[in-house]
This record gives sequence, structure tokens and C-alpha cells, in this order.
Amino acid sequence: MEVTINQEANKTLVVLNGRIDTTNADKFQQDIAPLLQGEKPDIEIDCSGMEYTSSQGLRIFLMLQKSVMARQGQLVLMHIKPQVKEVFDITGFSNIIKII
Amino acid sequence: MTAAKSRSFSTRLSLNILLVVSILFIVALAVVAVSSHILMSQEAHKSASNILDANIAKVEQTLNSVEVNVKNASWMVENQTVTDDFCYDVTRNLVEKNPFIVGSTIAFDSSYRADHKFFSPYSYRDEATGAIIQKRLGEEGVASFDSEWYRVPMETGQPHWSEPYFDEGGGEVMMSTYSFPLKDARGRVYAVVTADIALTWIDSLMKSIHPYNNTHAVLVSRQGHYLMKGNSKVDLSKQTVRTTAEFVKDARVSDIADSMLAGKRGSMRYNNRGQVAFTVYGPLSNGWSMGITCQYRDVLERTSKMHMVLILVGLFGLMVMFIICYRTIRHLTQPLTEFAVSALNMAKGNFSAHLPEIKSQDEMLRLHDSFEYMQKSINTYISELRATTTANERMESELNIARKIQLGMLPTNFPQSKRVKLHALLNPAKEVGGDLYDFQMKEDSLYFAVGDVSGKGVPAALVMAITRAACRFFAGMGLTMDKVAYQLNNSVADGNDANMFATLFLARIDLKTYKMSFCNAGHNPIIVIPPDGAPYFYKAIPNLAVGLFADFSYQLETLDLQPGTKLLVYTDGVSEAETSSKELFGDDRLLAVASTPEFQQMEPKEMVEHVYSSIRHFAGNNEQNDDVTILAITL
Repeated sequence: MEVTINQEANKTLVVLNGRIDTTNADKFQQDIAPLLQGEKPDIEIDCSGMEYTSSQGLRIFLMLQKSVMARQGQLVLMHIKPQVKEVFDITGFSNIIKII
Repeated sequence: MTAAKSRSFSTRLSLNILLVVSILFIVALAVVAVSSHILMSQEAHKSASNILDANIAKVEQTLNSVEVNVKNASWMVENQTVTDDFCYDVTRNLVEKNPFIVGSTIAFDSSYRADHKFFSPYSYRDEATGAIIQKRLGEEGVASFDSEWYRVPMETGQPHWSEPYFDEGGGEVMMSTYSFPLKDARGRVYAVVTADIALTWIDSLMKSIHPYNNTHAVLVSRQGHYLMKGNSKVDLSKQTVRTTAEFVKDARVSDIADSMLAGKRGSMRYNNRGQVAFTVYGPLSNGWSMGITCQYRDVLERTSKMHMVLILVGLFGLMVMFIICYRTIRHLTQPLTEFAVSALNMAKGNFSAHLPEIKSQDEMLRLHDSFEYMQKSINTYISELRATTTANERMESELNIARKIQLGMLPTNFPQSKRVKLHALLNPAKEVGGDLYDFQMKEDSLYFAVGDVSGKGVPAALVMAITRAACRFFAGMGLTMDKVAYQLNNSVADGNDANMFATLFLARIDLKTYKMSFCNAGHNPIIVIPPDGAPYFYKAIPNLAVGLFADFSYQLETLDLQPGTKLLVYTDGVSEAETSSKELFGDDRLLAVASTPEFQQMEPKEMVEHVYSSIRHFAGNNEQNDDVTILAITL
């Protein structure tokens, strides 16, 4: 699991690679901690390299979404793989997180 | 025990010390032996040399007295016309004056006398009576006048000591004659004055030289004849140093003979039939040569005795040293034996084993301190381990209780009626888990739910318990499934700071109409197996997992079933079962399992077990990493 965060003007670009599962969910949570700060964040997450997410991963996405909403910002997941998108769809996460 | 077979530490150390000291002792002894041999040899040479000088001086003194007497007598008769009687007086006087002189004559050549006959008045001491007898030589024959004692001084004009000869018919002893030439006014030799000396005193003198046992002293003439008779074993009178040298067959002995005959002084070491010997030799003023021969064996005899004493003292010293070493080391290493016992006791589990008391401030004390420290550390560690183990055991037992409680929440009174059969399996990845299933028959309806709380372990289990309780509560109120989901969502989302959530499949089947009304709150699609068709995933309306956002409106769906329909509801522990290489079981494999003809004939219990064994078979050695729940229904 790799998280790369690039700050570009008012936009935060994040690239995710690998799997999020039980073994590294805590690390994932630490890695995205910088995204939980700042006013009106505009975060784009490139999920093209994300292979799989467990329910712990989903929980962290939910936490991030709630944090972004509380700060009147926005969060977008991009280039998400179909098998991962399916998990977001089934659990209804597609309804609360913007996926394009 | 190997300790009984092997030597003790103190024995080994003592033996090692003994070995080293013995080697040193032997080396020291060898050095002493060699140097004392060298020293003794040098001393022997020096002492033999001194003795040689002293004895040469003794012999020379005697010979000198003879020479002086003869010379004095010569002055009385030289260049004078002497009467026969005067000649007799002179010779008698010589014999009387010098006890070494046993006979004397004045031999005139034929020219001296008018009758041209050799003339030689002779006086000698009769050995038997001691009386001095006079006799006229020359008249009885001329033989005497060819003798060496007459011929050589007559020819050379020099005084001369004759080669030794055996006085046959006379004193029966070895003799030598000193001849002094008398010259006329023109320098021609016309007579010789002689003195005969017996050499018996040389015999005894040579015998008296014995600084060591087996020492031989010899006196030889210019031509190498022995001037003594020798002992009873060897008659030297017929021998010369050359014949002796030939007999010994050592080139160096020949060298000695040559050097002696050449009138040189020196010393030589040689090998006489296995015995190493040395000879010191030196010339006398008259051309004779004296030699003293000593055996090294005799020279070194005294040092050999000294060495024996040294060896005995050394051996005794080594023995005493070994005993002292052994006792001292044993005393010093005694604590080691006790430590060994302590260590064995500790190995047997007695970590407070008694340690030997150490009073010395050395390595033993350090060993003792280390041992003590180790004991304390082990005891501390053990008590900590006990505490930890106790805590772990308590936690484990509590978790086991929690597991029993959690599994106890799950109903096991599976419906087995003609109208509906249901079976379910829940296997948490840890002691407790976040999966849940529930069912309930109420009037003509079957209510059932399958859920999965995000995460695993205790946190998930707590949410699972709440969810399950709330689920029963709201379903019991007669709410439709969408409303149940709605209420559940609100109650979980309220104060959900940990962002826990649960996916749920909530359903009610009316067993009269076979109509299933249900709400899928973010849960995996269920598999529907119609009695006359292929199994398929029913893709329900994707609602939202419960606990995410309050006041979310869940949608209710309905599905018409028929008798013989089978349903398979599960959690993601099934579809996401993994191999060690992270390959997922996946929906396709799950559908394939459900599609086999055998599976279509199975009862719910067999279906559940078959699916579970399929995913475990797929995962292989990989441990179950997520909670697994499988629920099967046959209408």
C-alpha cells in the first residue's frame, strides 16, 4: 500500500497504489492523516493503482469523506477499478463519496 | 558421568604445569650438563697441561744435573794429557756424585793413544753391592765404539742423549747415555765423556702421573722410543709411538706421534676404540717428548655424579611442586565444583539454588556475581512472565467467554419444516467477530438477516451485538425491512465517532405467497437458485451500509420466489477468501460452486458446509483472515 500526496495550488492530488486490507489499514489511516487538515479541501484521489479494499479501508474513506464535508470541501475518487467500484456500489459508499 | 572418567581440572592444570616445568628443568639441566662438560674439558686440558709442564721440569732437572756433572768432569780432562788413573778418578767421581748416574766412561779415539787403540776407562755402580767398580772398555773389542753414544757426538761435535736401550747382562733396566764431546786445540773431537743413567725412575715418575683414572703418561726419545718399560701388560721397550699409533688406527694419533717427534707442543682429542680421549704433549730440551693421555670418561665422571644429584633433586622438586600445585589449584577451583552443582540445580528448575560463598576478590567473585545476577534476572523474568501469562490467560478466557456469549446470541433452532429449511454457519477469524446472522419464524413469515460489521475482533463484536439486538427490536415492532434498516442506521450512526458501519441483508419471506420483501443495506448480493433455472446473483438496489449517515432513506424491494427456490446469503469472508498469494475466491467461483447439479440437490446444512469447505480448500494453508457467515434457505 502506497500513498503519494501532492499539493497543487488549491488542489490536493493523492495517488493510491496496492491493496488496503487488515494488515495495512492502520498505516493507510496514518498516511492520509494530512488530508484531514486545512480549510475547504479539494482532494482528488487517483485510485487506478488500488487493487482491493477491505471494510476497514471503506471505514477510512468514510472518515475522510465526513472530515471533508465538515470542512465544506470536496473529495473525488478517480479511475477506480471495476472490482473495487463494485464494493463501493454494494455497500452504498458510491452514494456518499463522489466517484468519477 | 563424564566427570568421573575425565581428569579433574586441578589434575590437568597441575600436569600441564608439571610438563612445562619439567621441560624447563630438562633444558636447564642440558645447558648445565653441556656447559659443565665444556668447562670440565677445558679444566682437564689445562690441568693436564700444567702437570705435563711440571713433570717435564722434573725430568729436565734430573737430566740437567747429569749434564752439568758431565760437563764439569769434561773440563778436567779436556786438552790435557791425562793418566789412566785420573780418568778412572773422574768417572768414579761422576758415579759417586750423582745417584742417577750408574756408569761413566771417557772414550778416547784411536788417535789419542800411542798404541792407536781405543781406550775407555769405565766406572759403574754395582747394583747388588752398591760398590763402584772400574773396568777398561775397548780392550775387549771395538763394538762399543760403534755405539750411538760414541759415534753421534764424535761425528756432530755436540752433546748427545742416546736412544734408550736395555741393559742386558747389566742392570736389566732401560738405560740412556749422555755423551759430551772433548775437542783438541784444533776443534777435533778426540774423546767423549759419558754418563749412563737408568730410566727406572722415569717409569715410576710416569706412573705417578694420574690426575684421573686411566691416565697414561709417556716419555719418548727423539726417535720415538719409549723411555720407560711400561707396565706388566704392555712391554714398551720394543715399541715406539709410531707402532702405538698404528695400533690405535686413528689418524689423529699418528698426528700426535708426528708432532711429538717433531718436538712440538700441543694437545689433541681423538677416539680410541669408542673412548674419547685427549693427549697433551710437549718437548724436553734434549729433544725428548712427554705426553699425557686422559679419558674424557674419567674427566667427566665427577660432573656425571653431580648431574645425578641434580636430577634427583630436580625430580624431588617437581614432585613437591606438583603436589603443591594440585592442592592449591584444587583449593582455588573448589567453588567451580560448587557452581556446577548450583547450575545443575538451576537447570532442574530451582532458580534460587544455593551459590558457594566467595571471599576472594577475583574471577570467582565475578562468576558468583554473574550467577547471582542471572538468578535474579531469571526470577524477575519468570515472575513477569507469570504475571503476563496470567493476564493473557485471563484475557483469553474472557475472550472465550465473549465468544461463547456471541455465538450464543446466534439462534441454532434451524427451521426444518416442509415449507422452509434453513441452516447457517458463522466462523469468526478471531475469538470474536463482526459477522452476524439471525432468523425468526413469526406467524407465516420467515425473518432473517445476515450482516457484517466493518473490521474484526472486539470492536466489531460490540457493534455486532448492538446491531443484532436493535435488529430484533425493530423487526419485532412489525416494521418493514426498509424501516428496520432506517432505524438501525440512525441508532448506529448516532455518536459513531469510530466510523464503524455494518452491511446488512434484511429479509422477510411470506411462506404463503412466497414473496420476499427485503432491504440490502450495502451487503453482498445474494445468490438465488430457482428450482428450474440457473443460479444468479440478485443485484439489489444499492442502499447504504448502516451507521454511515443518519436519516438515509433505505429502499424496500420485493422478489417473487416459488417452492423449491434456494437462497444463499453470505458475507464478504466468502467472496473475499484469499490464497496466500492474495488471490480472491470471487463471485465467479462462488457462482460456479452453486451451479453444480449436486449443489442443487443439497439440503441447507450441506450447502453451507459445501461452500465453507470450498473456500477453505481454495485458501489452502492461508489462515482465515475474515469472519465467514453462510446462510442457506430452501423453500
